Amino acid sequence: MNDIPPGTLTLMVLRTLEQMGPLHGYGVARRIEQVSGDRIQLNQGTIYPALLQLEQRGWIKASWGVSENNRRARFYAITRTGRRRLAAEETRWRRASEMILRFLAPEDAS
Amino acid sequence: MSSLRAFASRLLSTLQPRRREDDLDEEIRGHLDLQVEEYVRAGMPRDEARAAALRRFGRVDSIKDEYRDLRGLPAVDAVLRDIRYSARLLRRSPGFAVMAFLTLAIGIGATTAVFSLVNRALLRPLPVERPHELVSLNNAGARGMLPMFSYPNYVDIRDRAGVFAGLVAYRFAPLSVSANGVNERLWGYEVSGNYFDVLGVRPVLGRTLSPADDAQRGAHPVVVVSFRYWQQRLGADPAAVGRPVLVNGRSYTLIGVAPRGFFGTEVVAAPDLWFPLAMQPVLENGQPQLDDRRSDTVLVIGRRAPGVERPQVAAALDRVAADLAREFPDVNQDKRVVLSAPGFIGDAMRGPLLGFMGLLLAVAGLVLLLACVNLASLLLARAIDRRREVAVRLSIGAGRAALVRQLLIESLMLSSTAGAAGLALAWWLVRAAAAIRIPVDIPVVLDLPLDANVLGFNIALSVLTAAMFGLVPALQATRADLIGVLKDSAASTERHSVAWRNGLIVVQVAVSLVLLTGAGLMWRALGHTGSMALGFEPDGAVEVSFDLRLQGYTAAQGGELQQRLLGSVRALPGIRQAALADVVPIDLHFSRSRVYAEGAVVERDTRAPMAFSSRITPGYFAAMGTRLEDGRDFTDMDDLRSTPVAIVNRALARQLWPGAAAIGRRFRIGRPASGQTDGPLVEVVGVVEGGKYASFNDEGQAAVYRPLRQSYTGATSVVARTDGDAASALALVRNAVRDLDPNMPIGSARTFDERLSVPLLPARVAALALGSFGALALVLAAIGLYGVMSYSVSSRTHEIGVRLALGAQRGDVLRMVLGEGGRLVAIGIVAGIGFAVLLTRLMTAILFGISPTDPATYAVVVTALFGVALVACWLPARRAMRTDPLDALRSA
Repeated sequence: MNDIPPGTLTLMVLRTLEQMGPLHGYGVARRIEQVSGDRIQLNQGTIYPALLQLEQRGWIKASWGVSENNRRARFYAITRTGRRRLAAEETRWRRASEMILRFLAPEDAS
Repeated sequence: MSSLRAFASRLLSTLQPRRREDDLDEEIRGHLDLQVEEYVRAGMPRDEARAAALRRFGRVDSIKDEYRDLRGLPAVDAVLRDIRYSARLLRRSPGFAVMAFLTLAIGIGATTAVFSLVNRALLRPLPVERPHELVSLNNAGARGMLPMFSYPNYVDIRDRAGVFAGLVAYRFAPLSVSANGVNERLWGYEVSGNYFDVLGVRPVLGRTLSPADDAQRGAHPVVVVSFRYWQQRLGADPAAVGRPVLVNGRSYTLIGVAPRGFFGTEVVAAPDLWFPLAMQPVLENGQPQLDDRRSDTVLVIGRRAPGVERPQVAAALDRVAADLAREFPDVNQDKRVVLSAPGFIGDAMRGPLLGFMGLLLAVAGLVLLLACVNLASLLLARAIDRRREVAVRLSIGAGRAALVRQLLIESLMLSSTAGAAGLALAWWLVRAAAAIRIPVDIPVVLDLPLDANVLGFNIALSVLTAAMFGLVPALQATRADLIGVLKDSAASTERHSVAWRNGLIVVQVAVSLVLLTGAGLMWRALGHTGSMALGFEPDGAVEVSFDLRLQGYTAAQGGELQQRLLGSVRALPGIRQAALADVVPIDLHFSRSRVYAEGAVVERDTRAPMAFSSRITPGYFAAMGTRLEDGRDFTDMDDLRSTPVAIVNRALARQLWPGAAAIGRRFRIGRPASGQTDGPLVEVVGVVEGGKYASFNDEGQAAVYRPLRQSYTGATSVVARTDGDAASALALVRNAVRDLDPNMPIGSARTFDERLSVPLLPARVAALALGSFGALALVLAAIGLYGVMSYSVSSRTHEIGVRLALGAQRGDVLRMVLGEGGRLVAIGIVAGIGFAVLLTRLMTAILFGISPTDPATYAVVVTALFGVALVACWLPARRAMRTDPLDALRSA
């Protein structure tokens, strides 16, 4: 089971919701696992506290709907502030990872 | 921003925990179902799929916990949890909860009720515009401070000070008012024309008085009535303006109605009518008071001009006072103007009000303190019982703060519910107090609103109470010496707590002794008044009084009416004797004069004896039941054409002519204020027994009587004596007055028993308050003592078992426990007696001759206290005595 880097779950959830539109918790968890090429194996339950936090901050909103197996389920959708946040996070991560990569790059490359 | 949102969302979910919990369950169930279906689709058997889904989800419980921590507000949740926990604990010991609730509710209720009185009298501003700008002026001189100024001085101060936006003057006036067929005695204000304008009081109907109404003496017979009068006497008639109102025998035009809640400018005296001050000579029947710079007649209140502070006002007034002293040295020499807060009749009533209310508040607060002490000691006992639980919780890592918080929340729950009940109780008490019609001829304001101040006080008091009775036990119970407690339940800290609780018992016993002694003395004094020699016989006597001057009778008309009235009252069935007097004892209204024996040399005026003086008709002593000891009664022959005569009481006869017969001697009666001996020389024709005149405290007071026919006054009281029912005789006499003048307002109509209840009122109130508070304190002390002794016995079961096993007699055990309780009670009693001796001195004025250290009272109270304490100790002692040594040793 691969852990996800700290602080990245938020980014992944927001990104997933932006791409896929409204999803229930199971959908978000599965999607993250799929995108990672099943390299990330979530403790799927942990998605719920994460979703709650995002909801409390107003980055996503939840509403009750009907899932593909005709059960009541909560669907999460990204909000406008969520999108802004995602963009900011993206930039931050890109910069951070570029910087890390540069540090780790072979010396002759620079 | 987003953190604020998060907070709001958390707060919201804290408030609806149940719903969010269900939602989360449903969400997780749905999640697992979806996962199971996916596995099943992939070919896994259903039960295996279910296990796999759960594995993949992680630990549902810990996820939920994490989720919950995020969802709510941990602090609030913890408090809510504490509240639920505390409620459970309280439910488990209903006896304790009910006792705590009741004692606190009574304590908080009584204190809140007293505070609403304080609030009304001292804290609420006058019902005028910007009341903080108002100042009351006092006339200070060598002889002290008076709230009254002469009208000319008022005018000069008003015109010269230059620091006031306006300076108003007013005086109280007794009125007899007739409207819509109702005649009554009311009080009014005569006010300067600027009164309403300066105060910023606008009418609800018509107009208020204007300076024009006050411009010329007697020229504008107009009146503004109070909202209450308009509602109660004029039926809230919108067309009332312009109507005539008959006041003191003269018609006034009603020009306006004051707003609701405007009760004038004194907290202790609410008028129903306002007149222009210029009508004073007319209203008071030709006794002009306004032109004489010597007679201080008006109260003065000023509104500071914008931007002028109090020091500037004081400086300006000093200057004006100095000028006036120079210009009118005979009147204004050494006079100063002193400022005070308005509403207390200058500054005159502030001290007495503060004293009276301070005393009430102190007593109520003391009892509340006792209730707190009691609860503290009960909680302490509970806390000690819970030490093991607490120690365990501490040892598994619960913070001390969290534990203290839980214990305090428990206290707060008790005190806040009790506080709410106390508020209800206060509301009831205040209504009950307002319903008491104080039989005194003063327009006392008795609406006691439960406003924001009172509510705030009540809430603050509840919280404070909780802190007082909750904090010490909470800190005691959570002291960090864990190991000791876990090792041994009789740890040393416990002895510390026991000392605390013993101290509390001593305090309780002492306080209840002080209160009960006070009450006991009051009851003794009240009982004493029943057997006291009053100098008259109250049983079967009635009195009806009115004032002919207020109805505009001349002396000739009045004298004629008095004689006719006396004739018709004497002819009434069942009336044995009847007579008239201007004042009748015991009354707040009385007059005193200096008397000068003929031929005696009086070096200084103030050395001459002061005597209560009254004017009476023949037969007065028979009607009153006063014994004539020497000489004769007045007769109808004693009139203006015959020799001026007087009757004196034994005390005056002794003072003026010690060791000699008084009959036939002559003396003068002077006016005390002027010190002039300008009264006529009168001859003593009779001597009567002494008695009480102005109060039950009177002892050996001098009194002098003059025949009404030789010194007419319009103030008239009919005294009649019947063999039958006093109440029906009273109605007959009343009707006789009505028959002679249907418009006559009756000042008072009471049996003597009712009359005598007035001077006893403060004593009755004091006896009732002290008695009920004292009884409450005693009950609290008994409960406290019982609690302490029970606890002591139950924690010493083992020791008692050992003693019994070693051959101690059961009687020894009983003696031991009783002795332990008795020692505490004895210390409390000794301390209490000390305080009682100190404090009951203050009550001398209403003890009517009973000594504040009356041994009988102390003996009874101490015996009663010991008796109650004995019962409180007896029950636990008996339990101790019945301890089975085997059980005790086995269970230890």
